[in-house]
Amino acid sequence: MTITSARLPPHAPAMTAAGFRRGLVAALPFLLSNGAAGLVMGLTYKGLGLGAAHAILFSLLVYSATAQAITLGMWAHPLPVITMVVACIATNSRYLLMGAHLRQLFGGLAPRKMLPTLFLLADASWLMTNSDADRNGPDAGYLLGSSIPMAVGWVGGTALAYAAPLAANEPLRLAAALLPTMFIATLLPSQWKTARSPWPWLTSAIAALLVARFVDPSWSMLIGGGCGTLVSMMERTDA
Amino acid sequence: MHDLEVLGVICILGVTCYAMRAGGYVLAATMRDDGIAARFLRLAPGNLFIAFIVGGCLSGGPAGLVGTMVALVTMAITAREWAALGAGFAAALAASMVGL
Repeated sequence: MTITSARLPPHAPAMTAAGFRRGLVAALPFLLSNGAAGLVMGLTYKGLGLGAAHAILFSLLVYSATAQAITLGMWAHPLPVITMVVACIATNSRYLLMGAHLRQLFGGLAPRKMLPTLFLLADASWLMTNSDADRNGPDAGYLLGSSIPMAVGWVGGTALAYAAPLAANEPLRLAAALLPTMFIATLLPSQWKTARSPWPWLTSAIAALLVARFVDPSWSMLIGGGCGTLVSMMERTDA
Repeated sequence: MHDLEVLGVICILGVTCYAMRAGGYVLAATMRDDGIAARFLRLAPGNLFIAFIVGGCLSGGPAGLVGTMVALVTMAITAREWAALGAGFAAALAASMVGL
């Protein structure tokens, strides 16, 4: 399969204000979805008896829904720090792959620009940045710009749980759970236009399905995507 | 639970998560551009898109699947993200309300 992001970018990597604006605007829907998800997370922290400052700091520094949800499930006295760290490493191991891929796009940029930007790296901002790099060339400004509404939504939602007398309801849960998936789904048609065969994507889907069903949903993206990529490697000769 | 203890744990987990985010980028500096690992990484994104969506649809249940499919079809027809997201969310909400 040929996906546009599979080719080496024709442009030199850059970090531009135009890319930043483009990413910021494109990711605005995440203010809503991450805001709703952050709100649900904040309400959970509140129910656990965690103070507002700690909850906001948690969402700001850890900034990972899966890691935060899993460590929440381990909350006990005394706090099982080592187990929590291992859980964070396991659930966030996909970021190693994403970071390594970003090096291919932005390796020419100074680390002082990239390393702070990576603090806000999220699944969706990485996926969006890859899609944008296909269309406009690799621009780390886009990565930063698209990351900001996601982070503001997530941390702001957590804060809102303490500031407003709210309770989690069905539309809120749905928005939090589904909007990120729907947003990434909207990127598929542009990727499909250049697809050479459906087999890698089918492999990814089936492997992700099996992993989510029989192993652990948090590993489905990494393992499913990895299996599909292996099939891509077998059928491609132009990389 | 002591405030400082909680603060310490949050900082440790924060550093761990940042190390995962920056680690791949830093380690990849030693990777050859024409190697197998580099090729794997170049081919990975589209496949990860699909795996991400499948995982999201599963965790969202039938309502999530309906919403995602409607968003995908709307995007293919209109090429407007806001229309796709609006239609997808409305469909998911409707599916959820009818008990899917």
